Amino acid sequence: MRTSHPSVALRALSTGLIALACSTVASAQWDPRPDPNVPRDAEGNVIMDAPTPRTADGKPDLSGLWMRTNCTPPGGRGGRGRRGGGDGAGADAGEGGGAGGGGPGGFGRGGVSLEPQQAPVPCEPDGPPAAAFFEAGQGMEGGLPYTPWAKELRDARAASNARDNPDAQCMPMGFLQFHQQPQPRMIIQTEKMILIEYEANYGIRHIYLDGRELPPQGEPQPWWYGYSVGRWDGDDLIVETNNLRGADEDSPYDGWLDVNGSPYSREAKITEVFRRPTFGHLQIDFTVDDPKSYTEPWTVRVDQRLLPDQELIEFVCNENQQFERRIQLDQ
Amino acid sequence: MKGHIIAGTAIAAIAASLPLAAHHSFSAEFDGTKEVRATGAVTELDWQNPHAWIHLTVTEICERTSRGRGGPPGGGPAEPEAEWACRTPGADEGEWAFELGSPNGLMRQGWTRNSLKAGDVVTINGTRARDGSTNSNARNVTTADGRRMFAGSSEDATP
Repeated sequence: MRTSHPSVALRALSTGLIALACSTVASAQWDPRPDPNVPRDAEGNVIMDAPTPRTADGKPDLSGLWMRTNCTPPGGRGGRGRRGGGDGAGADAGEGGGAGGGGPGGFGRGGVSLEPQQAPVPCEPDGPPAAAFFEAGQGMEGGLPYTPWAKELRDARAASNARDNPDAQCMPMGFLQFHQQPQPRMIIQTEKMILIEYEANYGIRHIYLDGRELPPQGEPQPWWYGYSVGRWDGDDLIVETNNLRGADEDSPYDGWLDVNGSPYSREAKITEVFRRPTFGHLQIDFTVDDPKSYTEPWTVRVDQRLLPDQELIEFVCNENQQFERRIQLDQ
Repeated sequence: MKGHIIAGTAIAAIAASLPLAAHHSFSAEFDGTKEVRATGAVTELDWQNPHAWIHLTVTEICERTSRGRGGPPGGGPAEPEAEWACRTPGADEGEWAFELGSPNGLMRQGWTRNSLKAGDVVTINGTRARDGSTNSNARNVTTADGRRMFAGSSEDATP
């Protein structure tokens, strides 16, 4: 596993050009609807560093449309990796891109972008390692602490080109993949409940804030999105989830934390700490405690940027699902 | 065509460093080493979830024969320029289909379901399917008058 990406120079270059990309893409997003409650400067630009908005009872208000972003360390080192477990072949910047490799270790390809580019946030040196979309533990020294059961399963999933990843099958993803998936998510906060609606694969989570306790593990039954309760600790919202369907279900689509297939089991307890340090920045510290899959609990961080003046767009994944029908996959 | 066009290597460099819209397992379906460039007339823009597809009748097909990509950004040792082998497609490979991103993401990029119409001549850079069929994954689309659109490839962002 790697703790930093080899293409540091390109990342630094890219960071410097993010603002350009933002301004280019923003002009074309569909139907932005200016929000009168958003703080703006004299030119009408949203002040992303404005203070954290709060609800009537003084709690931070996490509501908004969010897109995951990278963090940029001081001096340009590291940053969030992409494809884990390999030596990136270097980025492709020109027309047509280059051969990213087609396998683990390939880096980006030029000329394609669908995700609205988001300004990165500063990395906090003392914070947890940044999660990576393809490999959750890419930023951790030595990678994730897999048990033999989890390592064997993860390697088998990766060897099959992750064809059973729930994202590829229009199925609900694991929370960590949902948090990083490059389609946005809407958080709606009320006093007694928070709703997270993920544009990808119609993901929807209910987090109860009414003081109830987590049910016993296995009761009432494991669900794709488990059972989540939240409580405030100062300005941190601590959300605990159990009763998750895990990779020990019969379905091959259960229990994926990342693209390459790092698993979680029915024993998993996931703790997410949500905080909104500024108006335009959301941090999620994501802890997995799953003795069947990992020899010790571990934590990674996902950063999000606000997408002001925008809305979710319908994405009904199963509308014309062609995966494994249009193209013959290797068996 | 309504919508914005992004062009230029600076933007491409940014795109290369960030994930793309995700859906299908790119690496299960497509072979990242088989790069293809097709020019032809659009027969249909199939605007459906989870992926839109462009169907076209191809007049020239080019396949990349070397993996060079010129010098890296910011200097450093130059690599050879990529080489392409082009041909007029045979009778059995005149019809190609290129997978795009999903309509929601394409809309955020400025596409609409009317961005291409039958008869529009386009050049598409992309990646061939592992099964050797003429189904491919589009990386970007350039129209005959030089406008270029990103295609929302699932590569680098998907399982």
